[in-house]
Amino acid sequence: MADSLGASGSPGGGGSHESGGDQSPRSGGVREQDRYLPIANISRIMKKALPANGKIAKDAKETVQECVSEFISFITSEASDKCQREKRKTINGDDLLWAMATLGFEDYIDPLKVYLQKYREVMGDNKGSGKTGDGSARKDGVQAGNPSNEKCVFSCQGSFTQGMGYMHDQVRI
Amino acid sequence: MRQAGVYSGLLAGGISGRTGPHSLPLARIKKIMKRSGEGVKMISGEAPIVFSKACELFIEELTVRSWMATLHGKRRTLHKEDVAAAVVATDIFDFLVEMVKEAAADGRGTAQGGGARDLEA
Repeated sequence: MADSLGASGSPGGGGSHESGGDQSPRSGGVREQDRYLPIANISRIMKKALPANGKIAKDAKETVQECVSEFISFITSEASDKCQREKRKTINGDDLLWAMATLGFEDYIDPLKVYLQKYREVMGDNKGSGKTGDGSARKDGVQAGNPSNEKCVFSCQGSFTQGMGYMHDQVRI
Repeated sequence: MRQAGVYSGLLAGGISGRTGPHSLPLARIKKIMKRSGEGVKMISGEAPIVFSKACELFIEELTVRSWMATLHGKRRTLHKEDVAAAVVATDIFDFLVEMVKEAAADGRGTAQGGGARDLEA
């Protein structure tokens, strides 16, 4: 545990990929539902990505299921290291975006920013701009930036009807 | 006046994971995040939301790349060896190599390894 955190201290390094690897085998006393996302959800997403005549073996679903947990741990460890370096206790969405960009998943950033922005618009509407303070703590060099803050204020100032309609379309993608 | 349906739909759907916009259960994602290391203490509410979408993108990408290995082996059923081949062939999936090595080794007996290996070559 401790060494896996230490190992991921070198961002993007080839040797930093061990984080969580020791947790991957399906064994031990931990309940399966604590370690993996539900296989039905994963199966559904996989099927969507295949042509209609494509079939998926159970072993492939289980492998992807393990890979997704590994992916979450991999990104989270990197984000967690960043938070520790910056003496922050809470991992927020921007930390995750930063970690993904650092670890080679740049292509995910744009769709995620759009998705996150929708979420913040809704939360901003509900809680005022207070909530965004949590997300705005030091974003030095984070390309994942926060266009959302102004967006949030914007939606708080009243034109949420438009914002909501927009969200309604987009968020179910 | 605040279109509660949209708002509560987002939250309720996310937490139950069955309906609503998030296709993966947020509580489960949070649990997996917490298991990632001792340094992970607090997680903002939006972090699992980000992951719900990110995991979807990740699963799609892994599946499409695995399917290429399936086709390469002239098959129509995606097996775990195809996932292993996709992982080996894709740089950003390097962190999964150890994991699928085991998976591929386990599956040797099912004689599906051939297609997977072709892609590497």
